[in-house]
Amino acid sequence: AAAGLCPCRALLARRGGALRELRGSVRGLAAGPEMHFGFQTVTEAERREKIYRVFESVAKKYDIMNDSMTLGIHRIWKDIFVRKMNPSPGTLLLDVAGGTGDIAFRFLNYVHSVRERQLQRKLRQQQNLSWQEISETYQENKLKSLGDSQVVVCDINKEMLKVGKQKAQHLGYSEGLSWVLGNAEELPFDDDKFDVYTIAFGIRNVTRIDLALQEAYRVLKPGGRFLCLEFSHINNPLLSRLYDLYSFQVIPVLGEVIAGDWKSYQYLVESIRRFPPQEELKAMIEDAGFFKVDYQNLNAGIVAIHSGFKL
Amino acid sequence: QLCPPQRDLQASAVLRRVSDEQKKEPSASPSQFHLHPDDYQPEQEPQDTHPSYTGQGGQESEDYESEEQLQQRILTAALDFVPEHGWSAEAIAEGAKTLGLSVAAAGMFHRDGSELVLHFVSQCNTKLSELLKQEHKRVQLGEAEKKATDQFLRDAVEARLRMLIPYIEKWPQALSILLLPHNIPSSLNLLTSMIDDILHYAGDQATDFNWYTRRAVLTAIYNTSELVMMQDSSPDFKDTWSFLEKRVADAMNMSNTAEQV
Repeated sequence: AAAGLCPCRALLARRGGALRELRGSVRGLAAGPEMHFGFQTVTEAERREKIYRVFESVAKKYDIMNDSMTLGIHRIWKDIFVRKMNPSPGTLLLDVAGGTGDIAFRFLNYVHSVRERQLQRKLRQQQNLSWQEISETYQENKLKSLGDSQVVVCDINKEMLKVGKQKAQHLGYSEGLSWVLGNAEELPFDDDKFDVYTIAFGIRNVTRIDLALQEAYRVLKPGGRFLCLEFSHINNPLLSRLYDLYSFQVIPVLGEVIAGDWKSYQYLVESIRRFPPQEELKAMIEDAGFFKVDYQNLNAGIVAIHSGFKL
Repeated sequence: QLCPPQRDLQASAVLRRVSDEQKKEPSASPSQFHLHPDDYQPEQEPQDTHPSYTGQGGQESEDYESEEQLQQRILTAALDFVPEHGWSAEAIAEGAKTLGLSVAAAGMFHRDGSELVLHFVSQCNTKLSELLKQEHKRVQLGEAEKKATDQFLRDAVEARLRMLIPYIEKWPQALSILLLPHNIPSSLNLLTSMIDDILHYAGDQATDFNWYTRRAVLTAIYNTSELVMMQDSSPDFKDTWSFLEKRVADAMNMSNTAEQV
């Protein structure tokens, strides 16, 4: 798939030129350029390997750790994120790095309630139906309770997908949901397929962010929306100091106590520091071809939602 | 970075070449970058013309419609769906669908449908302005009689209110959206410029305090007539027009009385 995509990218000659694309296409064969893994410096191949192992080991305790590290606030962030998306019934969502399914489940809930409201409104307008017609409407509505909306959860890590599938079964989500193993830098999907592409707390772990953004552009339909929820940079110096204190002193300790894994959470905190700030990420998204790129800070910049449209 | 981002030289998936709409031939300079044909929507790009880029950005941006123009197109398309979905993000999503875009494109606008209402009002005002200009031209060329002031005002307000008829069911919702605090600056702006337009073509040349009183009075006449129209069920809104006639007559009487005093 990389070979097929490469000629197109070389023609389009984006940032860095054809040389970068060729280097990307032979990844895995060469050691690759120097990259960061938290505060360490590693090669591209090593970085992928290390990140895979991090998530493999935290998968089972991922949700518990999220709750304890952010004191449950991550749920609110994700709620705001889906609310910003405001999906209408019939939307096809691709949730990348969506491992344990948090965004997917929220999407399904949202679409379900929007659909219910739509049906109620329709029923209210139909005042003079016979009993036969009413029962037919109810049956039809039951079958289409999601209004043809679908979410595809794609993750590179098998363990995370496994945890996600178990959660779905446990919570009772069955229709409109599918799980796909895939790499954000090389998505196993055709062009122009999805209405919305989301990546929540995942783009930080992607080794080649520009490739992931290009892939996002590729699989979105014209008019489609790219949404990214990610830790970002705080401008306020006082808050920044408190945040650093909390991050480096408390979080790895929590990691050790709850999940038995200090190093993974040390990586998490360091990777947040290494991730580009809001404006830089906005520029990267624009480089991939998105228009109307904008970001919204949540909690003064601890987390930011970036949005762009394929126009 | 080896070179500055070449974003503006990429083909947009949706933004059309304005030159296609205007049927203008692109310049004959050889194209520096041959863009992948799949990036264009086929029916909008004639096969034999290549995009011509003369430089690092300046020329190119004039050939493509801007995001704002695309947004205008979406909103115009969305107006067809207002009778069914109301002034909301759903109507905008349906409008985007008819243009071949994903429903997610409605995310470019506010959730409450504000932009849709403001777009419609602005469109109506432009139409009214055109009508008044045409009429003024006809009078100048001698093709039509100059109307009396009260007749002129009545006709102008009636013409403007008639534009609401296709959306009259959902117009109360639109009014409530226009009154939302974050919309008030824009809606007030649109209202005042429309009233100003009408009075300009009515031949108002006041340079004293009358300028303000006339506009205030006409605004009141317009707003009250609009409200009457909301709950008017007479055939072809007969009652609204007679209400309008009486109010304009009142206003004329008032100004005459004021002059006498």
